[in-house]
Amino acid sequence: MTRSSLTIANRIINQLVRDRRTIALLVVAPLLVASIVGVSIPERGMLDYIAPAILAMLILFFGFLLTGINFLRERSQGTLERLMASPVSRLDIVAGYIGGFLIFALLQTMIIFFYMAYVLDINFRGDLWQILVFQVVIGIGAVCLGTFISMFARSEFQITQFIPIIILPQVFLCGLLWPVEQMPDYLQWVSKFLPLTYAVSGLRDIMLGGQSLLDVGFDLGILVGFAVVMSVVASLTLKRGA
Amino acid sequence: MNDAAITIRNLVFNYGKLKVIDDVSMEIPAGTSFGLLGPNGSGKTTLIRLLVGLLRPAAGDIRCQGKAPSPATARLIGYMPQLPSLYTELSVEQNIDFFARIYGLKDQKNRKQRVAEVIKLVDLWPKRQVQVMKLSGGMKQRVSLGCAIVHQPPLIFLDEPTVGLDPELRVHFWDYFENLTQSGSTLVVSSHTMDDAAHCRKLAFLRQGKVIAIGSPEELRAATGTAGSTLEDAFLYFIRLREVKQNDA
Repeated sequence: MTRSSLTIANRIINQLVRDRRTIALLVVAPLLVASIVGVSIPERGMLDYIAPAILAMLILFFGFLLTGINFLRERSQGTLERLMASPVSRLDIVAGYIGGFLIFALLQTMIIFFYMAYVLDINFRGDLWQILVFQVVIGIGAVCLGTFISMFARSEFQITQFIPIIILPQVFLCGLLWPVEQMPDYLQWVSKFLPLTYAVSGLRDIMLGGQSLLDVGFDLGILVGFAVVMSVVASLTLKRGA
Repeated sequence: MNDAAITIRNLVFNYGKLKVIDDVSMEIPAGTSFGLLGPNGSGKTTLIRLLVGLLRPAAGDIRCQGKAPSPATARLIGYMPQLPSLYTELSVEQNIDFFARIYGLKDQKNRKQRVAEVIKLVDLWPKRQVQVMKLSGGMKQRVSLGCAIVHQPPLIFLDEPTVGLDPELRVHFWDYFENLTQSGSTLVVSSHTMDDAAHCRKLAFLRQGKVIAIGSPEELRAATGTAGSTLEDAFLYFIRLREVKQNDA
């Protein structure tokens, strides 16, 4: 990250930290959702099986929502345009925003995981650090996706409308509710283009199968590639005067 | 020798099929306050956004200190948008310090000193630790001005900087602007009020994306040929003159 990106990331962190209500919501929302999941699935084996998919889905959802809405707010308040008139490059601006939001997305990720692991007491086999690294990669992808999609929204209402377009199809097609292999061929084909499919597959293999990051290298690679593509495309889409 | 800080030649800009800037040409002298005056929708904000490099012209040429607007020339420019465009959760000091960093004031000691200078200049020293969201509209405008000038740019673009300010604060603002031009900066100020126009050393009247007159306030008033004419009279005079020319053509 360049000095400009770090300055932007630092400013975003300072801003969110000073907004205590938002910080409280960032903590309470994932705890609430994780609790509902835990209580609504009383059968222990089923909860263990579904937990990795729920974790991946929540990381994607919260990361997308946090970044999408905050980035849009920067645009509607004119602060993004002011930055665009400065000497900072587009790539540095996007890197700065992603860096700043990522801290909070990761905070939510950790809250969800540790709550599910140690309060809801789900069983997992893989190494803790490998599970966390994989979750961080999902979080990075979610933040990059939120930044990219927010380029196409002009209001908070519009960004929330992207949830049923961008997030919900992934939830239905990633294997969370039904195994991908048992879906019609064309849906299996569609699922191959959705990052949540690889997030769920990789996290399940580590948490339930006890596999290593190396073993799930393909899923990890797809997620890293997705994050890189989203951030580059977002900076290209960030037009002066947008 | 050309002492123009900004040169604009045959500038055109369209929003879709709508021509917003229509063949505008002008030279803005260095070290002066130059007013872009016109009603809402006359193209003032679009022209400023073109000058700071936020928009790309459909045709024509812009030179700011001899160079086309680009991220590389952005350091030469201070930009105060129409909306305050501030980080409302942050304090006055944090906002101005952020822009100081973004514009490359790397040395911490110098930056701190410059930020303090600017906060004092815009009369917000007692409020420096206060979150921007807790300030009045006029104070926010002052913070916004501070963010635009913290890196001491030679070119300063102020888009309707006095909108919503009470008369006393408006006078203060024009005092700041006068100080800036005296220290060698070139100010381009857009406004739709004749009160602001009277403070500028040179003015361009804009209407429907075209420049209908350029000159000092005295020259523009004198052009009407009527003693005691106001700038408002002069604006209306040039509108009528243009309509007559168009009808004759």
